[in-house]
Amino acid sequence: MDTNWINNIFAPLHDPNLLNRIFSYSTKEPWFFTEFSFLAVFGIFLVFYAAIIQRNAWRKAYIIAFSLFFYYKSSGPFLGLFALMIFSDYLFALLIQKKTGATKKLLLWVSLSYSLSFLLYFKYANFFIHNLNSIFGTQFTDHNLFLPIGISFYTFQSISYLMDVYRNEIPASKNVSDYAFYMTFFPHLVAGPIVRAKDFLPQIVSPQPINAALYKESLLRIMSGLLKKLFIADYIGKYVDIVHELPQNFSGAENLLAMYGYSFQIYFDFSGYSDIAIGIALMLGYRLKENFENPYTSTNVTVFWRKWHISLSSWLKDYIYIPLGGNRKGEFNTYLFLLITMLVGGFWHGADWRFVFWGLAHGLALAFHKAWKQLFPNENNSHWARIASTAITFHFVAFCWIFFRATSFGSAFASIEQIVFHTRWQDFTGFWVSRSEIGILLCFAALIAFFPPKIKEKLYQEIQILPTFTWILWMTIALQIIIQFKDDVVQPFIYFQF
Amino acid sequence: MAAQGTKESQNFASAKPSSPWLIVWAGLSITLPILLLYIYSCKPEAFSFAGIELKQILGNQDIDAMLASLDEPENPSTVNQPSVIRDSATSKTSTDSTLPFLSQSNGAFTLPAYELPVFADTTKHRILLIGDSESGGLRYPLNDYCLANGHKLILSMEWYSATVFNFGRSDTIDKIIARYKPTYVFLVFGLNELYARDLKARKIAANQVAKKMRNIPYAWIGPANWDEDFGINRVFKSSADSGTFFLTKNLKLTRAGDGRHPDVQGYRVWMDSVANWLQTSAKYKMAMKPPRKRGRPFRSSIITLNAAKYRGY
Repeated sequence: MDTNWINNIFAPLHDPNLLNRIFSYSTKEPWFFTEFSFLAVFGIFLVFYAAIIQRNAWRKAYIIAFSLFFYYKSSGPFLGLFALMIFSDYLFALLIQKKTGATKKLLLWVSLSYSLSFLLYFKYANFFIHNLNSIFGTQFTDHNLFLPIGISFYTFQSISYLMDVYRNEIPASKNVSDYAFYMTFFPHLVAGPIVRAKDFLPQIVSPQPINAALYKESLLRIMSGLLKKLFIADYIGKYVDIVHELPQNFSGAENLLAMYGYSFQIYFDFSGYSDIAIGIALMLGYRLKENFENPYTSTNVTVFWRKWHISLSSWLKDYIYIPLGGNRKGEFNTYLFLLITMLVGGFWHGADWRFVFWGLAHGLALAFHKAWKQLFPNENNSHWARIASTAITFHFVAFCWIFFRATSFGSAFASIEQIVFHTRWQDFTGFWVSRSEIGILLCFAALIAFFPPKIKEKLYQEIQILPTFTWILWMTIALQIIIQFKDDVVQPFIYFQF
Repeated sequence: MAAQGTKESQNFASAKPSSPWLIVWAGLSITLPILLLYIYSCKPEAFSFAGIELKQILGNQDIDAMLASLDEPENPSTVNQPSVIRDSATSKTSTDSTLPFLSQSNGAFTLPAYELPVFADTTKHRILLIGDSESGGLRYPLNDYCLANGHKLILSMEWYSATVFNFGRSDTIDKIIARYKPTYVFLVFGLNELYARDLKARKIAANQVAKKMRNIPYAWIGPANWDEDFGINRVFKSSADSGTFFLTKNLKLTRAGDGRHPDVQGYRVWMDSVANWLQTSAKYKMAMKPPRKRGRPFRSSIITLNAAKYRGY
């Protein structure tokens, strides 16, 4: 029996650059939750975590150190910028708490401008330069900028913390390590959920005890997140990428299926990421809020925004819509504030007019639904009416995703043109013949996305009855399924770019 | 689910504090499966379960580095096989008459390249055309060329949606060659894998295809790219014997309504380029003078397969 392959197992240990590869940042191999190297190191991290679990100060320091290491492995030198932001926010919050009146307000504006300046510079500088150049004919040159990973998320967290302190909803954190823990906590660091200080800071003092139920729940969330992202979203994404490369070269049927495909891809991608983040946090004894609650089963666009990216939509509501005036300043202003809020939401997603348009479309839909509810207050709650309204809402959302995914407005309109004018039944059969595996996966994704939540919950509960010692086997099977379908080059999480 | 989980966790929480051993077990639940799969990936052969090969962790390949290695010059001893062509009628072998000129290229009286005869071989071939859907379009202009040059197109096997995996991993090509005994094979595929990134696996399959062509002259025609590929042309070129691969991607071809396949005119232009190459610079040259009449009746056998229904392996 040939046993030479056993030497291959230990080959990495003979690599003189092994330590350097483990501890240094590489632009080619940044750390994400889906990297097997991250998962292996996280498992080892947990073993040591067990030794200090009873001592809260050590536990906190250990998690902060690992979080900073995680951010360094995913973003490299931007760790310094992040640390600077944490420390300055911590000081600003203390000052805001001490002062009153106009000084307090001034301090809030200064601190918010300071926090936002990083985001505005790194994410939007080139966008403004392009627009200035095209409007006024100026010759400003682009800045060679690299967007620090997670900046959109931690900037919003920082804003919510400063505003909550200003409103006296929470006390400013006296201990810098508590605030650093809240900001750097690695499960939510790079792509959310956007965690509120008032929900999270109390948990730092008294984390949840880690028991068998929590262990199973967390591992199940991690497994389902990995399967959602690496199996479903990435596999569908391969097809969507091909169509959106040149939509005019594909039939209307293929463009239509790419529209559905992207709707499922972005949902499984981001909700999968959120599942992994929530699962990892749970395994450490901290609970992050849910970010998705079966959004595609929504019967109208207002409900959709209560179920989709919940941490962002509630942030927009609490820190933009309500401070603007909410529904307290008359009917016209209510609609106007809704539009402004969704425009900001769209712009937050990316420095491109396509995202602004996407936000505007959703803002208009929300305003339309609000007006509709006033005109027809009695909702038809029959079974068929619910199915019809769910289908309409899903198709509206899916249609808007075209602008979100397309590479340009031209490309988005080309895709829509193909769908509207060049969709023929025989192209669906052609698609099924040549890409049946994508067709099957789309059906599977639709089944999960539209599955009644109660049945899903029941299924999760049944799975959690399985004995604790068997969970290594389930994890192995889940990872092998991922390997079977995983492309060599995995798509990054869609929401990392925001 | 989360709400239920919270309730359950809190019930446990009120009963017991955190269990360090459970956290160790949690760590092992993540690390051990990865370790197991890593050890498995070090094994040279993959396991199969219920007829499905269990893939190994490949990791993120450095595709650029791999492609660069593919571009390295191949070992001449493996590339320059003696060019022997079987005579279909007599089953005797005859040497390609153009080869003496080429093999004397280092000799004292070598003719300059531009003075080489354009083509001297008049062997009439039994041609087998194998490929994906593009081969279905190319067979008609190829038929015109065959009729004009005395060759016989004995079979066109069109395997819809097929990739190099279907051709390389299956024994379909071997069986067809054994049955139809061609003297020249045309391979035309790659359109369904322009965006393929798992080039390492496809390289293995492409080598298997080249191996099947060991004793038969062949022309491996690259796909008519409708968009830039991620390296599949370079993979095919590196697997094909030197001088047997025709790179199509740079040709400007008119396209059919789907935007991907060439249209009738596109296929003709494509075949003209292939024919010119076959007469002048292919390793296995053959007579391919342009036909006077185009669109002549197609009377050869056709086999149609569908990769979605018949994978072949």
